[in-house]
Amino acid sequence: MRGLSLLAIAVPGLLSCSGPGSAPAARAPVTHTVTIEAVAYTPPVITVKAGDSIVWVNKDPFPHTVTAKARGFDSLPIQPDGSWTLTPSAPGELTYICTLHPTMTGTIRVE
Amino acid sequence: MKMSVALAAGLLLIPAAGAYAQGVDDAQIASIVVTANQVDIDAGKLASSMGSNAEVKKFGEQMVTDHTGVNKQAVDLVTKLKVTPKDNPTSQSLKEGGAANVANLKKLKGAAFDKAYVDHEVAYHQQVLDAVDKTLIPSASNPELKALLVKVRPAFVAHLEHAKMIQSTLPK
Repeated sequence: MRGLSLLAIAVPGLLSCSGPGSAPAARAPVTHTVTIEAVAYTPPVITVKAGDSIVWVNKDPFPHTVTAKARGFDSLPIQPDGSWTLTPSAPGELTYICTLHPTMTGTIRVE
Repeated sequence: MKMSVALAAGLLLIPAAGAYAQGVDDAQIASIVVTANQVDIDAGKLASSMGSNAEVKKFGEQMVTDHTGVNKQAVDLVTKLKVTPKDNPTSQSLKEGGAANVANLKKLKGAAFDKAYVDHEVAYHQQVLDAVDKTLIPSASNPELKALLVKVRPAFVAHLEHAKMIQSTLPK
């Protein structure tokens, strides 16, 4: 455990509800999209700010996962046309893979 | 590497298929794509039930899921394009090779089954990939069909690499 707490939220709209008392934010959280298509994450490396959300959208006709290489998060199978959202809350670099297709890797850089 | 006669026969059919496939039209390509997926679905079903190694069983299940998904996409496209898949020597060879492989696998058990299944998966995905690159993509005339082939190609690459990873962990 690297002191990194991760919150996967089901409703991206909830992001706008970050309440008072949270770390001072100069900008509103942004939702980034990573497309899963042709057995690859696009973009393979994504840089976000802590508190931003990343949505993975599966455009392949079969399931994929977004699974932390170390411990931390696992989407479990994302079905075709399905999506999964992660909201990293602390800076760091996270590498992830698809457990179903071990050739697939991606990186999240959280600033 | 010792290879059973049936397995060798199954593999030999695939390169022969490549030679036949020169100048295939879109209807024939549709049939080849659907057959190539179906052959791997049939083998995958067998591996998911008869495999003894957990990774082999899981891989077999995944081949069923992935190739069923690719086939659905292919069938949806050719239906939209009003292309009727046309049987041809390549799809026939794939079918015969697939049947020979399944017949051979059914005679095996335990580690021997796992090894024969995974060895064949490695060879099969490599041969299909060669056919996709050398024959199917260059021959496809409809741009959407060509685009579909380009899009599903990485799945065959990923399966090939995954099968090789499993192959390297199985007892020789």
